[in-house]
Amino acid sequence: MDKLKKLIDGAFSRRKFVVGAGAAAGATAALTLTGCGGGSSSSPTPTPTPTPQFTDADVLNFALNLEYLEAQFYLYAATGTGLAPADISAGSSSSFQTVGTVTGGDAAAVPGLTPQQQEILNEIAYEERAHVRFLRSALGSAAVPMPDIDLSFFGPLATAAGITTATAPAFNPFASFDDFLIGGFIFEDVGVTAYSGAAPLISAAGVSLGYLTAAAGILAVEAYHAAYIRTSITGRAIAAGSATAYPYITIANQVEDLRAALTVGNSAPPSTAGSVETLLTLPTNLTTPSSIVAADPSTAVGFARTVNQVHHIVYGSATVGVSKGGFFPNGTNSIFATTTA
Amino acid sequence: MANQETQMLDDMISKGRRKMLGAGLTSLAGMLAGALAPSAQAAAFTDADILNFALNLEYLEANFYYLAAFGTTIDVATAASTAAGAPLIKLTGTVGTAGTVSGGSQVPFSTIEVSSYAIETAIEEGKHVQTLLTALGSSAVAQPAINLGTSFQTLATAANIPNGSAFSPYASDENFLVGAYVFEDVGVTAYHGAAQYLTVKANLQTAAGILAVEGYHAGLIRTTINYLDPTGATIAGYTNLISTLRATLSQAGLLGAAPGPYDANPDDYGLATFSVTLGANATTATRITDADPVNEIAFARNTTQVLNIVTGGGAVNGTAVVKPAVGVFFPAGMNAGPNGFN
Repeated sequence: MDKLKKLIDGAFSRRKFVVGAGAAAGATAALTLTGCGGGSSSSPTPTPTPTPQFTDADVLNFALNLEYLEAQFYLYAATGTGLAPADISAGSSSSFQTVGTVTGGDAAAVPGLTPQQQEILNEIAYEERAHVRFLRSALGSAAVPMPDIDLSFFGPLATAAGITTATAPAFNPFASFDDFLIGGFIFEDVGVTAYSGAAPLISAAGVSLGYLTAAAGILAVEAYHAAYIRTSITGRAIAAGSATAYPYITIANQVEDLRAALTVGNSAPPSTAGSVETLLTLPTNLTTPSSIVAADPSTAVGFARTVNQVHHIVYGSATVGVSKGGFFPNGTNSIFATTTA
Repeated sequence: MANQETQMLDDMISKGRRKMLGAGLTSLAGMLAGALAPSAQAAAFTDADILNFALNLEYLEANFYYLAAFGTTIDVATAASTAAGAPLIKLTGTVGTAGTVSGGSQVPFSTIEVSSYAIETAIEEGKHVQTLLTALGSSAVAQPAINLGTSFQTLATAANIPNGSAFSPYASDENFLVGAYVFEDVGVTAYHGAAQYLTVKANLQTAAGILAVEGYHAGLIRTTINYLDPTGATIAGYTNLISTLRATLSQAGLLGAAPGPYDANPDDYGLATFSVTLGANATTATRITDADPVNEIAFARNTTQVLNIVTGGGAVNGTAVVKPAVGVFFPAGMNAGPNGFN
């Protein structure tokens, strides 16, 4: 079995995409991962620079980092506790071996829920935990452990989005159902775009192994979740009659503004040409459409983000060369952990 | 560049994917075997065949939403569709036999929640038709005959919905949601099943993006039904009946092949709550997401399974594939190219 594993690992490393400058054969993957930078055609210098490379396992482990974050948020919101130790441990062959901890901040079961709302939180928490377990199972010994996660970052993030001021009480997504919706809103559309951006990175061998279909299926579930969050916010705003009466729809759109600004390489404002964000709208009559779906306004095709753009968002930083911050105070356990242009 | 090791790996993959289990990266393909072929009888197919299959489904969905929201088909503009920003679709697809759309009428919406969702979905499904027509160019199939009237009564009766023989999705906000429910989760499973067979990365990216949008639509419909009927006494209860019917038709479309993890039996769940254990506590959860209850990954279906659902069982006769599949929504079958799926 060891020999088989070596063969597979060897084959993966041989079939991996090449990322970064000077890799003509991997140009498509390189552009997807590094944005517009790194083109080497103008440089005649033949100096061979070490090229970062990645495997299917790296792509799945990137997704696992995001699922750890989402699962912790929803589990705390639904039950007041997070993932069990067995769900966050390090795979024996992972190059990351330190199991992280969660800085909870205000993390607690959301109070005052109706039974129906509690059942919704239970569902999403259960499903995100299932994704963690599924990816860990698929990765086997290659699974990265949970990195350090900071759930108190919602406060600074909200301040950066202009939702709260530094002197006012920090935004707390665990304070009420509506605050929870904003907390979920911060993640879900990003999850959809992350899987959409990662799907084409999976190698032909990985497609044969079922990884693409698995990723596409998780993508769909993230879209169901995102629709739940966006439909709930929109529906509650319609019921209230105005954004003044239900300010959370405005807050959600402030989150979108911030996410757009952090989508380095494509930071067009939401709902403008080229943007990967669609602002929520508040229909006030029977003849106006809603904007539940986040998709390209001309083709109605959902958006994709690169691995790098997702890192900028979860770190809460547009700075290039950052390897940690925001929800991941010591970085993701990923070879993509350092942000690029 | 293949050397001995990669040749050995290729050999193992082609001869027996289950052998990969237990390796550092677990093979999912072994579990998938047999469940996800686009169509058992298809000898060869291209990306265009897959996209044309999707186009047939988008013709169906888009016309349903246009009729419900605006009272017209996708190729006819009204003041309402124009004001809402819905695209007027030029039916430029020519492959196969063009048909007509029958049945359907504007829903007398009474709530902004449901009308705004209907209008949004119409616009997006219309753009999907437009996007696929553009991508396929002269290879695009024509819009086939589509029945959006009596087909709903046939399916509602088969699903054992009370008074199903008189069911109209155009009668009320609630009935419209039930009609929409019939389609959306199926769209998710169809795009999910097809994604792995697309060979051009750009096509995969487009399909993944449309898959996401179908997931948003399905989540939107299921969330709204859950809000309107949290106890499952009426329309949320109907979703269980419809999902059971879809699962039965999907299972028949497997033709005896072993189901994979994304095509378990059943491969469809309505909005009835289910039991989960979180921490030490057993509790209940909704089913806004239509997914495998263990891994929570959306289901995937092959083309025969999808055809058997949208034709109300027309794709399978016993253990034999019927081609073209004909019935309910597609009274003359789908349009497909020479090696396509119909």
